[in-house]
Amino acid sequence: MAKLIKGRAHALSPWMLAGAEGAESATHLILPLADYIKAIEAGEPADHRAPLLKAEDHDLSALVPYLAKVPLVAVNFTSTGDGRGFTQARLLRERYGYQGELRAVGKIRADQMFFLARCGFDAFELLDDEDVATAVAQLDRFSVAYQQGSGTLTHPRRRYGG
Amino acid sequence: MYRYDDIDATLVAERVAQFRDQTRRFLEGTLSEDEYRPLRLRNGLYIQKHAPMLRIAVPYGLLSTRQLRMLAHIARKYDRNYGHFTTRQNMQFNWPELKNVPDILADLASVEMHAIQTSGNCIRNTTADHFAGIAPDEIDDPRAYCEIIRQWSTLHPEFSYLPRKFKIAVTGSPADRAASEVHDIGLHLKRDADGHVGFEVLVGGGLGRTPIIGKSIREFLPREHLLSYLEAILRIYNQEGRRDNIYKARIKILVKAKGVEAFRAAVEAEWALIREAEPDLKLSDAEVERMRAFFKPPPYETLRDIDATQGQSAEFKAWYRYNTRAHKVPGYRAVVVSLKAHGEAPGDITADQMDAVADLADRISSGEVRTTHDQNLVLGEVRQIDLLETWQALQALNLATPNIGTLTDMICCPGLDFCSLANAGSIGIAKQIQARFSDFDYLYDLGRVEIKMSGCMNACGHHHVGHIGILGVDKHGLEWYQITLGGSASTNSALGEVIGPSVGKEVVAETIAKILDVYVERREEGEEFLDTVRRIGVEPFAEKVYGKAH
Repeated sequence: MAKLIKGRAHALSPWMLAGAEGAESATHLILPLADYIKAIEAGEPADHRAPLLKAEDHDLSALVPYLAKVPLVAVNFTSTGDGRGFTQARLLRERYGYQGELRAVGKIRADQMFFLARCGFDAFELLDDEDVATAVAQLDRFSVAYQQGSGTLTHPRRRYGG
Repeated sequence: MYRYDDIDATLVAERVAQFRDQTRRFLEGTLSEDEYRPLRLRNGLYIQKHAPMLRIAVPYGLLSTRQLRMLAHIARKYDRNYGHFTTRQNMQFNWPELKNVPDILADLASVEMHAIQTSGNCIRNTTADHFAGIAPDEIDDPRAYCEIIRQWSTLHPEFSYLPRKFKIAVTGSPADRAASEVHDIGLHLKRDADGHVGFEVLVGGGLGRTPIIGKSIREFLPREHLLSYLEAILRIYNQEGRRDNIYKARIKILVKAKGVEAFRAAVEAEWALIREAEPDLKLSDAEVERMRAFFKPPPYETLRDIDATQGQSAEFKAWYRYNTRAHKVPGYRAVVVSLKAHGEAPGDITADQMDAVADLADRISSGEVRTTHDQNLVLGEVRQIDLLETWQALQALNLATPNIGTLTDMICCPGLDFCSLANAGSIGIAKQIQARFSDFDYLYDLGRVEIKMSGCMNACGHHHVGHIGILGVDKHGLEWYQITLGGSASTNSALGEVIGPSVGKEVVAETIAKILDVYVERREEGEEFLDTVRRIGVEPFAEKVYGKAH
């Protein structure tokens, strides 16, 4: 079972990834982007369905019309070195003004927490072998930054203003 | 030079603490080798053949003498009394122990240095012309912009896991001394018709397995938009660059696949959106001026140009001719400290030499030392009346070999002796060439010939852009060398052409000698080697090397 951090705390989540073990009985389903759109168009409850972005989904325009009622966007990292999810997060937060939960899932590592948070993620599904305390501690690894960044979890000082 | 403020110092100190913690977790076993690797790599730490190799950033090749002395201290305390300058103006140590690396980084932080992003799939050290600020032909000093880029790219949250490494070079002169056309991004400072400073932007240059010369995607980018434009390029690359094949992951492959026009259009569209969404990235005149002030020239004396060689020895005259360069201020000259002494590995320098160069720079130059992409050092601000004393001091240090710009001023990677990627040795070949061409009169007669040598396809030694390029290849466990001719990393860069099958280890210098014979035979009055190759093509050279029936 993956470990979820929401904000800075270990959390439980009702959300299940479609196709995962036990998902048939789940009330809250995370679906691949195309399936998510189909589900919403078919009248499934918007507050119980969430889109999953894959790394290759770099055109987010299909999702934009739904963003106002999306409770959660999950961004999948297929490997630790694949940084496409960082761009997806910033686009959702900065370009499309998404305010809801932004959850990093897949092969993320504790040592990436600071960058993930700086790009706007506020929920992190850690791999089984990660330690929650170590991961949360990484959010405070840097008290300063050169870039503006997104998100509310970290507040590094910058040379000029916020 | 740039001095850290509280923000910079805090960031570097926290980076040291982070790496100390990561290394502790690795040594304790709570962080696996696989997890630790990308973390140590983005801090310049490789595991090489003999020991870890630590690459230290020398931003745009500028070192204070205090920093150079710290490098000497590190060489003595943690390594084997020497270091190696790289083709990206950085310093590498070949023998540190893993457990000591956090302490080395802490020592570096105490003199405003670090090893951040000297490796890994992220934005690397931004390099520049080593004659920045003193070249007579300069439009604007590139170093202020390099420092702006350094800060923007340091621990960039979005661009720390790119498809592959990413290198930026900036030149401030029409003559390209930073090999900017073979970088992922090359920025050429220029002025528009109204005198405003900006950049021509080249993208997609690079060496390695698929050497490509960068393509211009913007004729003129006003300087205030530098960071928003870079952010747009990096974002397109981060999203669309290939991640399925390490050999096709550099931005050059993306630009080629997409087509330069389509790539430009994508960047321009993204740039328009970023400029709107991140007004913060726009550089104010005040911020640029604040940065430029760090690179203000030292107070010059009012001097006149003199003939420093008058009445001096032939040795001094040769050194003056080959190892010093014009300075924009009358009465001054730039001195190239040759790290190409015959019999030594190109780019290597001992701890004692580092200390002595630092002392010399304090005494007769500006207290700063520059590193060059062709693996030498530069003392930038030497009064012409001090040149004789400078030469004598450098001679005593074995740092005055009068060979800059000649055949034995080779670029050379560490090769099979140190690097776990290499297919073949390069230092041994460099020494073979040095020994074969030890007659300086012959070297001077040959004039400007650039040899660049890499021990494998990764091309750290820039072999594709050598006038003579040498690439080490492995054939059934033996070291062989492929020769190219006609490459150039200067303005209007060119890739060399392979002359034929690779040659055996023992005959590399002999092969070079045959090539040079053809040049001497066929050159026209005053014609340089590269121009002769361009005029007559590689065929006559191949014929000499392989015989008529090759």
